[in-house]
Formats: sequence, C-alpha cells, structure tokens
Amino acid sequence: MAVSALIGQRLKALREERNLSQDDLARLFGFKDRQTVSAIETGERRLSADELLLAVRELGAPLDYFTDPFRLVGEGRFNWRQSNVPPAVLGAYERVAGQIIAAFRTLGTQVGEKPPLVRHSLRLTKTSRFEDAAEAGERFAAEHNLGEVPAQRLAEVMERDLNILVLMVTPSHAGVSGAACRLPDLDVVLINRDEVPGRRHFDLAHELFHILTWDAMPPVHVEDATETGGANRVEQLANSFASALLMPARIVREAADWRSLREDALIARLNATADRLEVTSSALVWRLASLELLTKADARAISASEAIRNNGHPTGLFADSRAAGRPALFSKRFVEIVARAVEEGRVSIRKIAGLLGLSVDDLGSLFAAHGVPAPYEL
Amino acid sequence: MARWRGPVLVDTNAIIEAWRIDAWRALCGGYALETVEECVIETQTGYQNRRPEQQIDRDALLAGLKAVHKVSDAERAAALVRDGEVAMLDEGEKALWAQALARSDAWVLCGPDKASLRIGVRLNLRGRLVSLDRLLDDAGFRPKTPLKDAYRQDWLLRTLVELAQREGKIA
Repeated sequence: MAVSALIGQRLKALREERNLSQDDLARLFGFKDRQTVSAIETGERRLSADELLLAVRELGAPLDYFTDPFRLVGEGRFNWRQSNVPPAVLGAYERVAGQIIAAFRTLGTQVGEKPPLVRHSLRLTKTSRFEDAAEAGERFAAEHNLGEVPAQRLAEVMERDLNILVLMVTPSHAGVSGAACRLPDLDVVLINRDEVPGRRHFDLAHELFHILTWDAMPPVHVEDATETGGANRVEQLANSFASALLMPARIVREAADWRSLREDALIARLNATADRLEVTSSALVWRLASLELLTKADARAISASEAIRNNGHPTGLFADSRAAGRPALFSKRFVEIVARAVEEGRVSIRKIAGLLGLSVDDLGSLFAAHGVPAPYEL
Repeated sequence: MARWRGPVLVDTNAIIEAWRIDAWRALCGGYALETVEECVIETQTGYQNRRPEQQIDRDALLAGLKAVHKVSDAERAAALVRDGEVAMLDEGEKALWAQALARSDAWVLCGPDKASLRIGVRLNLRGRLVSLDRLLDDAGFRPKTPLKDAYRQDWLLRTLVELAQREGKIA
C-alpha cells in the first residue's frame, strides 16, 4: 500500500475512533471543506509533511501510527483460545500477533502476491444442530482427502486449498493455545507450537470452524481452550466440527470394538488410537460418547482419569515426542514471502527480525527450517 | 581511490561490522563519521539483536564519531512523505535516512541492508551509497578478518544494479 493510502486509512480510523466528522478534521487542518479530508482518507490526495505533523500534534497519535505498515489499525478481529491468561498479557500478545500478520500482508503485497479472490464458508448457523457441525467436519476431511490421520495434513490443506494462513507461534504466555484472526482480505490461524500435538490439532480444527463461519456466528474475542466447548453454543459447534474432522466416525469405529472393551484394555486402546490419530485421548473419549460408543457417564469418568493424561505417557514420553515433532516457527508460505521481501530489499533485515521476535542471526535458521533458500546475510 | 573528505553517515550494521573486524579505529581515523542516536543505542549490548553480540564500548564509539544527531519528528515526517518505503526500515536505518535527507551538504551513507540501499536508488542517490570495504580500502586499512559479503564493494555494485533494474531506474 502506498504511504499516502496508508496515512489516509489510519487518519480515517483515528477520526472514527475519536467520533470526529470529516468537517471536524477539515477545521483542524484548515481546509475549506470536508472533501479534502475525504480525498486524503481515500489516498487520492497526499498529506504534506507539515500536515502529517499537524495530525500527530492535534490528534495526539505518534508519527508511526500513521505510517507504520506493520500494525493492524481499525481492522483485524481475533478469537483467542486460552487458559487463564491475564487480559493485559493477552492484549500485549495480540499486538505482537497483529504485527506478524500485518508483516505477511504488507510484504506479500510488496512482492506481488494478491489476496485470495474467494473466501470459503460453511452453511451453518447458530441454530444448526451439533450433528450438522459434526457432519460438516466429516465431509471436510473426506472432501479434502485428509486420509486416515486427518490431523497430519490439515494445516497444509487450509493454506493451499482455502488460502488461510496458518502460523505456528510461540506466544508470550503458555496459556495461549491459538487464535483465529479475520482481516478484510485475509484469514489467519495462529497455533501455539509448544502445545502437545493433540491439542495443537484440535485448536487448528476448532479455529478453522470459526474462520469458515465467521459471518454467520462471529466468535467471542476470548474463549477457554476446552475440547467440550463449555456453555457457549458456537464453541460447542466448533468442537463438534473439530472432533468429527480429526476423528471421522468410520476410522474411530474401525479402531476397536469400543463397547466390548473394559478398564485397562479400554484405556490402552484409547491412548493408542489417540496417538495414532494425533489427538488427545480426552478428545477421543468425547468423540466416542458423541458416536454413542461410550456412555456419557463412562466418558466423564474416563476423562477425569490420570490414565489418559498425556495420552498415557505419564513419564513424559509424549512430551518428548512433542519436542521432537515441534513444528517450525510460522509456516513455509510465510517464510517464503519474508525471504523474497528481504532479497528484493522490500524490508530491512533488522526490521523483520525484530518484528518476528528473532535476532538477525536467527533468521538463517528460520529459512533453513522450512527449506527456503536464505537471502543475503548481514 | 581518493579518500572521501566529507561526512560519512554510518548505520548500526556498518558500526557493528567495523567493530567485529577490528576496523573501527581505522575507520574513524580516516573519516568524519556521523550517525543518529537510534544507531548508537542499537550498537549497545542488549539492543544489537545479533548473536553473538559485539562488545562495543560506548565511550570509544562516541569518541570516534564527529556527530550523533537527534532526529526530529519533522525530519522523519519529511522522509516518510518523500518515500513511504522508509517505513520498511529499522528504527536506526529510518532515522539515519531522515537525517541524511534533511541535509544540504555532500554526505555519503554506509548502510548495507538492501532495503536501505533501495531507498538511495529510489531517490536517485546511488552515488551517495558507499561500502565499508571501499571506505577502509581508501583509508589504507586492510582488515585481518574478512568482511561479510554485504559489506564488500563488489557486492554493493552488483546489488545496486539489481535494485536499480527492479526500480526501473536503468534501461
């Protein structure tokens, strides 16, 4: 975006935030009429340096507010999945996440990427039944050929087929599981890459539901990261969708004669099946209950059991395999855009490294982790 | 080549590299070096955003600089309005360009990042861009530790051609 268009957009956002009219701004700038303000806001008329300074002084916003392309202003709605994260901490991380997302959008435009032409959505509403959401999840897995372990290729399919940017991140607080973010021209899902694979995959499928139903049922800004959805109907629908997508009925039914299994044998099969599907045993328990392969009472008892904690790897084996399989930061698509922008001199290395929370010298490792050729080094 | 006698504006990257190869004394002995406050901060431990960091003594650094400029909002605004791509630079690089563009004297700028070089190309100031390699060479200093590619003269010339072509500045 040209700087004149960016300044105009930011000026409009600030004017609206302050409940000022275009006439109010015209008086502030000393313009004869509001049409000049309108032309500035649409980027048709450039603001001079003196006018920009006047805006800084009179509106009490820093210069960067008007000119920094690496921030989201007046756009970008988030849905956070988290556990016990203080609001101030989450707010601070939302600004960081916004910078990363804005960087992708700005740099993508700079290197000639166009925003997706089409936005996908599910035909579901708040009054849809849980069974409808589950059927949608099953169909999504089938129609996108996610195979016998749908979790494995979900992120790839979301990026490639649906143009949803999926970013693996390390949030400032461990309680942040993930987020969906909707911009006018971009959908993004953020996933805490330090969580166990089962939780990561569930968060991803859950946030996919929010992205695909955002207009019909806008998600709340902050929700608790559960696999059962709490009291919120939209979250329950999202969990039904995620659960069915990651654990299609056919695959779950074929995994065992669930009704015949008891106690240790049931627990062992639960943990083994959850490991194979790369979900949590707890999520599998509730999936079995929804398919009536377990009673609700049994599901409640088992889900509270220590025997399925960490999918039955109490000594930390699951945690070890998580570390080994920890996804690389961000995504290949994201890193490719960054590498191109750096190579073409669209953004300085110190700038992008700082935005991504990395040192200048760590950028090389980031490119290598995704198999992306590194641009020049400083 | 004849040594440049006017002011040389140096950015954080150039200072850190000069320090890394033990060329700072030679550099400030040969030229009237100037920078901006942001770059001085970015060279200090904890702010370099480099791994490993160079131990750059602030007093020694300041002693070698002829001037450290405080950049005003008016200078920043003027630079951003003149070329919005200045916003794609790091704070130090941005401030250094704002300072450079506000000057009326003959200066040269040593800042190897392609995004910084691109500003010079876009504003038809290619002739003001110098490499650390060239500065040291003209000052008669041969570093024992080799410079990284991006600080070398051949890399600068090649990169300026590439950037100029992309910006449509040469046929």
